[in-house]
Amino acid sequence: MRVLVCIDDTDNLDSKGTGEIAEAIAKGIEKQGWGKSYGITRHQLLVHPDIPYTSHNSAMCFPVMTTELHLQDIISYAQDLLEQECAEGSDPGLCVCVPQLLSNQSLLTDFGYTAKQFVLTKDEAYDLAARLNIHLSEHGGTGQGVIGALAGAGLRLGGNDGRFKGKLKIDTPDNTIRVGDILSNYPVDLVQSLDGQVLNKSEVIRLGEKVKKVLLRDKSVVLVYRDKAENGAPCWKTCTKQQLRVY
Amino acid sequence: MDNNAKHHEEFILGTEDWVQAARIAKKCSGFVCDDEDEMVADETVSCYNCRYRRWAAHSISCHRPGRSSHDQ
Repeated sequence: MRVLVCIDDTDNLDSKGTGEIAEAIAKGIEKQGWGKSYGITRHQLLVHPDIPYTSHNSAMCFPVMTTELHLQDIISYAQDLLEQECAEGSDPGLCVCVPQLLSNQSLLTDFGYTAKQFVLTKDEAYDLAARLNIHLSEHGGTGQGVIGALAGAGLRLGGNDGRFKGKLKIDTPDNTIRVGDILSNYPVDLVQSLDGQVLNKSEVIRLGEKVKKVLLRDKSVVLVYRDKAENGAPCWKTCTKQQLRVY
Repeated sequence: MDNNAKHHEEFILGTEDWVQAARIAKKCSGFVCDDEDEMVADETVSCYNCRYRRWAAHSISCHRPGRSSHDQ
């Protein structure tokens, strides 16, 4: 079964980032033989003076394919690691949910989108988690991170929010690659333009300095934009960090 | 962690003054790159990519250790 693990508010300005801790949890789960984890996504939540966050207010989420037998192991492991790794002054929260067991998935997704626009409370998070039978726990400080942890899980479940952690390492002699080669050799489901045009396998794209993926329609997507090559001919280029910041 | 301390003044940069953010960061001895996943400016050395910047709705503020309020 597919389980979503999401954490929030684990860091301070000088500590390990939340993404790094998410990665450590994902690797630990695999090392213990409890399941296979998939790409970690970063979900941007509201930045507002009434919300205590370190520097950007984002949650990190990843799916794990596991069995019911290991669900409690995964929760306990993530809790232990959060308590060991979380930074002084942080307010960490953990959410673990099994989408197939949710009586109403859209309530969780809606909570995620609401957290991108409005200030929510811990009570609201705990109420929803109890209603949907989702694991939600706090691990230090004020525990405010439960709001982002639940919201991040909802946004991941929705499948249309967030950037994947890390970058794709694609090395080609001329810095170009066919879409078909990306799809065959890298963990990418689609290459599409910013306006939603899905590129076919024969198209060639020019690689930017860093190639990152975003989560769209529950797929790993490399986004590209139309530009001009050195000879003036139109070409596709992978999006820049500035273009991807809204995802 | 609550970093909403009032003494950290907001930059007047807004959220998309890429040129100015790079110019300021290049002169700043306290610039430290944030995690790659939190970088949003194409120019690596930019206030927008610094681990001591804090995002607000319309701008960022600088939380560099030892920074004074006149030192932008």
